[in-house]
Amino acid sequence: MRLITHNMLQCHAKNCNSNNFPLQLSQVEIVNQETEFNPMFLRNMLPKLEWNALVKTALQINVTLPTVLPESTTDDLDEEFLKTLHGILLETHILQGAMTCPNCNRVYPIKDGIPNMLLNETEA
Amino acid sequence: MSSSKRPMPTQAFASTNTSSLNPTIKEQQYVHDVYEKIAQHFSSTRYKPWPVVEEFLKELEIGSIGVDVGCGNGKYLGVNRNVYIIGADRSSSLIEISASRGFETLICDALNLPYRDECFVSIFDFVISIAVIHHFTTLERRIAATKELFRIAKPGSKVLIYVWAMEQIESRRKFDEHYQDVFVPWVIPADKNEKEEEIVYDRYYHLFKKGELDDIVANIDLAQIIKSDYNKDNWYVIATKRQ
Repeated sequence: MRLITHNMLQCHAKNCNSNNFPLQLSQVEIVNQETEFNPMFLRNMLPKLEWNALVKTALQINVTLPTVLPESTTDDLDEEFLKTLHGILLETHILQGAMTCPNCNRVYPIKDGIPNMLLNETEA
Repeated sequence: MSSSKRPMPTQAFASTNTSSLNPTIKEQQYVHDVYEKIAQHFSSTRYKPWPVVEEFLKELEIGSIGVDVGCGNGKYLGVNRNVYIIGADRSSSLIEISASRGFETLICDALNLPYRDECFVSIFDFVISIAVIHHFTTLERRIAATKELFRIAKPGSKVLIYVWAMEQIESRRKFDEHYQDVFVPWVIPADKNEKEEEIVYDRYYHLFKKGELDDIVANIDLAQIIKSDYNKDNWYVIATKRQ
């Protein structure tokens, strides 16, 4: 699981409707996998992320990001900064770990890079 | 979805003694459990993207973010490398196959997608669901699953849905139009399994009649149909979510 995916997930247990994002990462095992740098993709994709949540989550895996996404997310965004983001967003994979809902404490496991978001019948 | 090479008779679902089962149990037994068992063989027969789906994905803007709800073995996840697509499926066996190919995946239920939408607006630029909605055993659940696709789609985004058609013109299959709820056998040949004898699994399908998928989509808040057509034994709809 990449951090982009994590940035889109929220707890969806029944009656858990507020403060259910972002899910808190713990006990993570991380692996880096090189992938082609695509600046145009990043520039277009970045504004779709919930930046504050990303900053918070990155800290949970010991990565520090600027607290505010630089305004110039279009053509003139610094290439070095984009390369850093590429490494964090596209090359960093969470292989094992857990995601805990900040509201209801429901834990979603990540195993072999795959989050399991299934709820049991009473939770759904 | 097409099945094995050999023509097989299809049974009407309602005529079996399963009508008393609740929908969750039916789907567990005749959809989820079956895909867990046939995953390997099923995946080996699923590699060629359907052209309409391929075109839909290739036309997306670079940097788009989306979900393939019911991605199976991940056949569509690598079609356009300029978009970010998360494959979601109920079957952990199929998701493991997708993930082993390097695709971004997760396990979840189509009736309860785990994506943010309320505190923050929906984010997905596109959502596809290919050959999935026909596995739900009641109209209410088919509507609920379709609603979920539009819930996670952001305003202005595109949604593509494929479901199996009752009217299978190009196919050798001929369905009795009186029975929309049927079992479609999946046959694993003797040389493709450890028992070395042919194994047949019954999968539940609701066969969509012309206009049925359109009716479901048209009644969803903010959904607007752009195109609806017949292709490869399926009905499909491309819709947008209004602003």
